[in-house]
Amino acid sequence: MTEQRRFFDEIALGEEYESPGRTVTESDIVMFAGLSGDYNVLHTDAEFMKQSIFGERIAHGLLGLAIQSGLFGRATQAYATLAFVGLRWKFKAPVKIGDTIRLRAKVIARKDLSEPGRGLVTLERTLLNQRDEVVQQGETDLIVEKRA
Amino acid sequence: MSRTFFEDVVVERIQDTPAITVTEAHVAMYHGVTREAALAPGAVPDILPLCLSVGLGWRTKEPPMVVLAFVGLEWQIVRELHVGDTVHIRSRISSKRPMRDGGLVVEDRALVDQRGEVVQQGKFTFLVAKRPKEAVS
Repeated sequence: MTEQRRFFDEIALGEEYESPGRTVTESDIVMFAGLSGDYNVLHTDAEFMKQSIFGERIAHGLLGLAIQSGLFGRATQAYATLAFVGLRWKFKAPVKIGDTIRLRAKVIARKDLSEPGRGLVTLERTLLNQRDEVVQQGETDLIVEKRA
Repeated sequence: MSRTFFEDVVVERIQDTPAITVTEAHVAMYHGVTREAALAPGAVPDILPLCLSVGLGWRTKEPPMVVLAFVGLEWQIVRELHVGDTVHIRSRISSKRPMRDGGLVVEDRALVDQRGEVVQQGKFTFLVAKRPKEAVS
């Protein structure tokens, strides 16, 4: 059984999706430090961070980016994606331990590509916390298959 | 610990990090953290190499920059990576601009595989601390 995927033809300009929330835990940050090898004090030294402008450890920016990638799959039916080709991304506010983040995504551009059978979909993605503050925001470009 | 402050950042400086081999364990941990849908065996999720690149970025010969914040990035996925590929980063500081608190440093980064081919590339922007003023005695 294959999951129903949405083709380029079915994706409309202006479509919006919102994911469920996900609480970012200390374990997520520790695991991400181990995975990435980024042990910067910002993410790993609770005592040092008490003295910082953040007052406590913060999540890696790329942990938020990686989590939103998973949340996208829970926000809408999967696209018939052939390739993820690029992104432009801003880290606007810290994600702290215990914050609950969710993804809001909107189709802001779609265009045919010169190669047959495929189109480019650009999504604006906004990661919000439990206070509805924007913590991360950017655009992603996906190449999506057209219906045969 | 030796550290590089904004004043010490050298524009045009090129650095190569050590390399890392991407394994099934990395892919499994990545899926554990992100809960992204699993891919075909041997495939590497597109954002995983970007995550590995931030760790590799600390493993340079020069002391690491005192990063106050990761401001943003622009990133292109040039080709797919596979489990077993070995990647490192080649980086070049492309610009620096002082701000009131710290300064913005833009770094061009390329993730290069064992064949010398660029698999992912882009620009990282960091807010870097200025050297603390010495206390007047």
